[in-house]
Amino acid sequence: MSIAPLLNKVFMVDLIKGLKVTFKYQNPNQVYTEQYPLERPAIAERYRGLPRLNVNPDTGETLCIACNLCATACPEHLIVVQSERNPLTKRKEMTSFSYDVSRCMFCGLCVEACSTDCLELSQDYEFALYSRDGLVFDRERLERGPEPTVYTR
Amino acid sequence: MLDYVTSYLHSNVTPGQAGNWLWSLVYILIIFAGVSGIVIVMNWGERKALAHMQVRLGPMRVGPHGLMQPIADAIKLLTKEDIMPSEADKPIFWMAPVWVVMIAFSVFIVVPFGPTHAVTDMNIGILFMLGVSSLGVLGVVMAGWASNSHFPLMGALRSSAQMVSYEIAMGLAVVSAVVMTSFTGLGAYGIGDASASGTLSMIGIVQAQAQQHVWFVFKFFPVGLVAFFIFAVAMIAETNRAPFDLPEAESELVAGFHTEYSGLRWSLFMLGEYAAMVAVSSIAITLWLGGWLRPFPSVHGPAINIPFFWEHPELGVVDFVFSFAPAMVLFVLAFFCFFNAARMPKHPLLKIQTMGLYAFGLVLGGVGLILLAPPVRDRIQDIFWFVFKIACFMYMYIWYRATWPRYRFDQLMKVGWKVLLPLGLGVLLMTGIIGLSPEILAWLKGVV
Repeated sequence: MSIAPLLNKVFMVDLIKGLKVTFKYQNPNQVYTEQYPLERPAIAERYRGLPRLNVNPDTGETLCIACNLCATACPEHLIVVQSERNPLTKRKEMTSFSYDVSRCMFCGLCVEACSTDCLELSQDYEFALYSRDGLVFDRERLERGPEPTVYTR
Repeated sequence: MLDYVTSYLHSNVTPGQAGNWLWSLVYILIIFAGVSGIVIVMNWGERKALAHMQVRLGPMRVGPHGLMQPIADAIKLLTKEDIMPSEADKPIFWMAPVWVVMIAFSVFIVVPFGPTHAVTDMNIGILFMLGVSSLGVLGVVMAGWASNSHFPLMGALRSSAQMVSYEIAMGLAVVSAVVMTSFTGLGAYGIGDASASGTLSMIGIVQAQAQQHVWFVFKFFPVGLVAFFIFAVAMIAETNRAPFDLPEAESELVAGFHTEYSGLRWSLFMLGEYAAMVAVSSIAITLWLGGWLRPFPSVHGPAINIPFFWEHPELGVVDFVFSFAPAMVLFVLAFFCFFNAARMPKHPLLKIQTMGLYAFGLVLGGVGLILLAPPVRDRIQDIFWFVFKIACFMYMYIWYRATWPRYRFDQLMKVGWKVLLPLGLGVLLMTGIIGLSPEILAWLKGVV
């Protein structure tokens, strides 16, 4: 064995280097985790979370024109749009919208298909529920949008 | 009766030597409570320091910065269901954790926290410590055997093999330190004016370091340092801590010898393990790091006298400065509390926690102020330095655990038998040769 590696071994240079690294990381500024309920993580903009139906912010009317493109695009056939024609305006109006999140794989094809920017996958990531029934979102739930859990203690 | 109580206060020896059972009992209770306190602090400190080294936060929810976490843990462990495997050897299963705790605490009888602050001073003190602390392995083997399960048995076997092999290197290093007490320091390159008399007594060893004006780590440099290094390695292996924690290697053996234990019994094992860590650290401190002596124990500086604040004609300005150390350490801790309370996130839910942290800082600062008072300051010095050194050792334990990966079993045995054992023999030989060098030179002159 040549002399340098031997001295390295005897004086445990590598072990001491390791100690130095762990000592430096003790700085509280290095902490990478966050205290989740109090601090919420910043979610990437392109993250595809729970779906939402957008409404016109001025009038509060839905942007959906009941074209059924999203339901057609969906590979899982989990979107059901029901509509009826309004005799006054001669337009189709959406009467109910159901979105089964439990079968959704968040591919985003429905969002691509939507012609009015109505259907959108929001950045809400809190999916946990106590029963499966709550995962079939109706129109009301979809229009309410993300509901971040509020922790009180 | 009252005479019996007060008579000890005027004596200048440990209660055991004075033959005073009442004060011995008081000392035992204080040390038991103190060591348990260190274990509690260590519980929090280990989780916290380990977390920060791993770029995590560690416990944060129970109390400010998780300060109440040990209490929550204790309540959880005490209220847990006490499971005993139906096939277990019940009496032995029951006895194993008790045995571990008993052994871990009984070594503290001879640990000298100060020249008179020990339960007793035996003339075979260090021998007693080594002997009793090595009985701890019996508890581990009992636990592994009585569990009637594969993983605990494997863990116990590993543990006993490891403890037995490191005991030898440890013993050689200790003998080297004991031999050093018998050399006046006038060997090859020593200083001092002590009369040569070897001793095995824990208090005697520290007093020898005081008389020879040198901590034994620095004596016969680098022989003392190497002996200390051997002991430091063997001591980690002896207490089954990372990187030598093979008996409880969680990736291989679930939890090693205490796999089948839960609740109170498991917590007893933990208590025993941490108490044993404190015990072996205090052996290392007593033998090499000057026990209760402060750094530079023989440097006094010019004498000063401040009425009602510093009235020690025999002590100098250096002693005066060092006497502020206990209070300063507490002030620094209090400052950290205030600093962290100030930079706590301003959230209504954290209001109570922030206030709690301020209050804790105030308590620490208040204790610091008490330690500043002259009568307390004089009496606390030796205890403070001993506990401070223990705290440094505890931090090192955590630091090693956060840094180094676990050794393989054959590597562990290789380090023990092929590195530490020859090194220990060499150190012992060198200690003797350097210590006797004047005599050897004189003899050589006579021959030539």
